[in-house]
Amino acid sequence: MIRYPAFDPPEYIDWQADPRLVEEFARTIERDAGRKEIVSALDHKRLLSLYEGLVRNRLHDIMLKRWVKQGVISKAWLGTGEEATTIGAIHALDRSAASDGRPTDFVAPMIRNAGACHEMGMTVTDMLRGYLGTEDSPTRGRDLHIGDFQKGVIAPISHVGDIMAVTAGIALAFKLRREPRVALTWIGDGSAKAGVFHEAMNMAAVQRLPLIVILQNNQVALGTRLDQHHRASFLDWPAAYGVEGAAMDGNNVLDVYAAVKVAARHCREGQGPFLLIAETFRMGGHATHDEREARQTFAAELFERWGKRDPLGLFETYLIEGTMDLENGRRARKTGSPRERNLEVLKRVEERVTSEVEAAAEEALSSARTKMPRPEQAAEGVYAEHSRSSAQQASGIVF
Amino acid sequence: MAAITLLEAIRKGLWEEMERDDRVFLLGEDIGVYGGAFKMTEGFLERFGEDRVIDTPISESAIVGAACGAAMMGLRPVAEMQFIDFISCCFDILTNYAATSRYRQNIGIPMVVRGPSGGGVHGGPFHSQNVESFFLNTPGLKMVEPSTPYDAKGLIKAAIRDEDPVLFFEHKALYRNPRIKQEVPDDDYIVPIGKAAVRREGRDISVITYGVMVYTAMEAADRLQEEGIDIEVIDLRSLLPFDREAIVESVKKTSKVIILHEATRTGGMAGELTAVINEDAFEYLDGPIMRVTSIDTPVPYAPPLEEFFMPQVDDVLKAARSLAAY
Ligand SMILES: Cc1ncc(C[n+]2csc(CCOP(=O)(O)OP(=O)(O)O)c2C)c(N)n1
Ligand SMILES: [Mg+2]
Repeated sequence: MIRYPAFDPPEYIDWQADPRLVEEFARTIERDAGRKEIVSALDHKRLLSLYEGLVRNRLHDIMLKRWVKQGVISKAWLGTGEEATTIGAIHALDRSAASDGRPTDFVAPMIRNAGACHEMGMTVTDMLRGYLGTEDSPTRGRDLHIGDFQKGVIAPISHVGDIMAVTAGIALAFKLRREPRVALTWIGDGSAKAGVFHEAMNMAAVQRLPLIVILQNNQVALGTRLDQHHRASFLDWPAAYGVEGAAMDGNNVLDVYAAVKVAARHCREGQGPFLLIAETFRMGGHATHDEREARQTFAAELFERWGKRDPLGLFETYLIEGTMDLENGRRARKTGSPRERNLEVLKRVEERVTSEVEAAAEEALSSARTKMPRPEQAAEGVYAEHSRSSAQQASGIVF
Repeated sequence: MAAITLLEAIRKGLWEEMERDDRVFLLGEDIGVYGGAFKMTEGFLERFGEDRVIDTPISESAIVGAACGAAMMGLRPVAEMQFIDFISCCFDILTNYAATSRYRQNIGIPMVVRGPSGGGVHGGPFHSQNVESFFLNTPGLKMVEPSTPYDAKGLIKAAIRDEDPVLFFEHKALYRNPRIKQEVPDDDYIVPIGKAAVRREGRDISVITYGVMVYTAMEAADRLQEEGIDIEVIDLRSLLPFDREAIVESVKKTSKVIILHEATRTGGMAGELTAVINEDAFEYLDGPIMRVTSIDTPVPYAPPLEEFFMPQVDDVLKAARSLAAY
């Protein structure tokens, strides 16, 4: 895809596929028989929609970075380098409507999994409005953490770990109603140290809840390296809780997709929670304001190593160099490689998503000009009814 | 002596206490290598080493629980909440363990839990809270909130030297505010916990407040002066215990009171102070005690909403004018 020197991590700007990593990418998705079968069943449409999701996630983040640079917003939390862990997971879920009109499966993303929002069907416009705090944003300007209940997205709160327990509760509702639905959430390597993570994981295990937890280990918690806040191997955690678990390559969208598919099947069959461990890397700061600190926190080689594993670049290479003709899904013979045509197909996807995100930004900015909440709306909606006392407070001083 | 910010003053107080007393140590998230989310402890790790500047996992209960244990054993821990909003995660340890220890088992817990509080910076519901009301109802804890650099240094020192657990609130809108910079002496001084300060003397109305709202009150007082209303501004500095005497003395003088705080209204400091004034100075009152506070909602994110939510100078003006009419 097009790289954006002003916004991409330096490692991405002249990104070239490292043949060893391309090979590793292919090997990873064949490592496990179950996952291999899932991946090989993917048709070109599915593959393209995964690619589209990754591109959308990347461009959404780049738009936020642009806004920070322009002073439209003061900072933004990005998923750069970790997109596969978000996008692969969403695409593996059942997003078709259940009898309540909502998606079958529910997700609770961290702010770093913003890509979950658009892949569950929220518009990028609404997501960007969230940052701007407009009246037509998902929270009507009350919070920048966004979700959309009707689209199966539970908004995070800042207090890390809480959402784990809430997601377990969503899974509990599915279980109690005997609905074959799954709730999925992500938790950071740092946030998994909040007590509530442990409480929720154990309770989900005891209750055998249809809960998928993706432990997104990006090697850092804000400004604290993994080795400073963590001792054991995350891979031992599933056994410690008595739940099923597995590792997956957080930068390989197909591996994530397949791993979550397996986990979802397990949950839907009533076999209890599934704890997936994804290794990945935060290719920037905790947010846009501390990129310099992030570069100081980690050795340059680490950025270099993970920079080569750009989840977008790797998947793109896989698609371009693969034998599947992305135009029609046919497997090409050795002679007629679809390389050129595939490049063309991917370019068209990228162009479409680029326009989508640009239009979304325009629309969101127009909301910021004309649709900011009215001040007195601050008093509304604390309780089910617009209570008298808050109406009174809204009218001025009360005594 | 150069003028320094509130943040620098707290830093200075922490630094001096660590130099002075090797029992003092810091623990919290990202405070060492990273220097703290607000850079409060930048350079501390290099100076005091890993044993005294401890980077912890994201585990507020473990942070404050460990601070309790270490304090019981004679150390002087200062725990940082990255944002004071996250103090809710160790509510149990604070209210049930720390607050009751001396009373139950005659073991004091001389620890400080400090962190950035308050709104006005569009931080949204979870990075803007004022949490004092959660703890006001917990005997055994102390709470302070400085509004000036001078007080910040003196109060953090007093808090560290106090024999009981002290919650230390730092309004983030004041951290780097150049308007409130002040020359702060290098001497080893403390500002005693439990003592208010009169920021402005006046005859007509007492505005009792603290934290960033001191400046809202001062600005309102300047404007009201032009209308011939003479405002006295009391900066509580300590919220628990609060300076009952100073409050009552001011009320006896002015006979009219506005209590101003950024925390939400119901169950807030203002209600408690109102009761105290009724108990100790009812006879002196010439009008209703008025509250100017944030409204009873979570802290909203969007600027127009947050501005409406929080008390503004205009709200104080309105309250003062209606009170002056009595
Ligand atoms: C209870 C609580 N304490 C502290 C914070 C401040 N904080 C926000 S994100 C973060 C680091 C999270 O690290 P991790 O879980 O690894 O997620 P990542 O940011 O790496 O995606 C911290 C300390 C918080 N949000 N909640
Ligand atoms: Mg992390």
